[in-house]
Amino acid sequence: MTTYLERIPQPASVLGTDRNVRRYHDIRQLLPDVHQPTPLVRLNHIAPGLDIYLKLEWLNPFGSVKDRAASYLLEGLASRGSLHGKQLVEASSGNTAIALAALAALEGLPITITIPDGVPQEKKVLLRMLGAEVWETPDDLCPVDSPRDGAIALARSIAGSVGGENFLWPDQYSNPDNVRAHYETTGPEIWRQTEGRVQTFVAGFGTCGTVSGVGRFLKEQDRNIRIVAVEPQKGHRLPGMKSFAEAREPDILDRSVIDQVVRVDDDLAYSVTKRLYREEGLIVGPSTGAIVAAATGLAEPGLTVGISPDSGFKYASFFVDHLGDEGLPQV
Amino acid sequence: MNDTIVVDETLDTSGLLCPLPVYKAGLILNRLETGKVLHLITTDPGSLEDIPALARQRGDQLLGLENKGTTQLFWLKKGPTQGDGKK
Repeated sequence: MTTYLERIPQPASVLGTDRNVRRYHDIRQLLPDVHQPTPLVRLNHIAPGLDIYLKLEWLNPFGSVKDRAASYLLEGLASRGSLHGKQLVEASSGNTAIALAALAALEGLPITITIPDGVPQEKKVLLRMLGAEVWETPDDLCPVDSPRDGAIALARSIAGSVGGENFLWPDQYSNPDNVRAHYETTGPEIWRQTEGRVQTFVAGFGTCGTVSGVGRFLKEQDRNIRIVAVEPQKGHRLPGMKSFAEAREPDILDRSVIDQVVRVDDDLAYSVTKRLYREEGLIVGPSTGAIVAAATGLAEPGLTVGISPDSGFKYASFFVDHLGDEGLPQV
Repeated sequence: MNDTIVVDETLDTSGLLCPLPVYKAGLILNRLETGKVLHLITTDPGSLEDIPALARQRGDQLLGLENKGTTQLFWLKKGPTQGDGKK
């Protein structure tokens, strides 16, 4: 088996890769690992008296925490058979799709993305820019016995129907490679960056790869570390997050490593997101607001690390609904 | 029984599992003008429930249904309520 790093062609340039000066000859070399972690940044204003750090996953090369899962999913598929001549199909609320589409483009693989219709337009456009075919669908696609996850059902049916043998479906909700990505990279990074002092870890419910993988790794280092999962409200507008009041729990969710589930509604998530912009200078997506709302609400005395899954650039059309006339001339 | 129905478009989803026939039929019905007829062929038995429910949900009219065992045939008339080709 060759990894994507080994498949990267050698540069024609006179310069080689040099991580010390941050010079690379292929974007995939920017994928994170324990020696090249995403930054951990402290919140200094929003939570006085608390020691909370955010792991800025939007500084990954394709813009989100899902770069980790996507690269592991693709490597897993490659290790189980050739990618040559295949097409990818995946259900995603956008971030996994964007990372997979970028990686697929680099491998020369066509990709079809099934995506919930409530996802911001910005993400759908980015996917099309990357050459993906984008199939929008409502969650209640099947009128009878709806599976509530229309995008997942659609991806499954594409992979399972006649002609499906041409498709590879990573299935991020059931594929252990998603968890392994965080067990082997995100978890060790946090452990090293906090010098083993992390006491609470907070991440959202979504595919559950992050909370399961990081949770498992951290529990193995110190079983007293608290693992907190954040769950949005039913009918939420926090893309990438899942409320299990309306969606099926992913097969990869490992509840044995989760100590507490904190529920955060949209109003709180978006108001904390706004504060992160204005008080911390952090241009984050709304799921980060939900995670920070949970972390500050818990007010754990020790060192807390929260995941910041993505940046805010893909959510402008969502944020405008929460701004009212703020920032406009009052005449 | 449906020999007299004038068909404007035919979609053969033989071999496709639910919800693909529902999804593809919905895409075509979205762009059809009111009153136009889609003839849909499916092999997923779930379609016998899904397609009539889809028609009810969308406000389209199920003109006919034939269950031929391994194949199901539907005739769907685009409903008048959503505006021509803009649903």
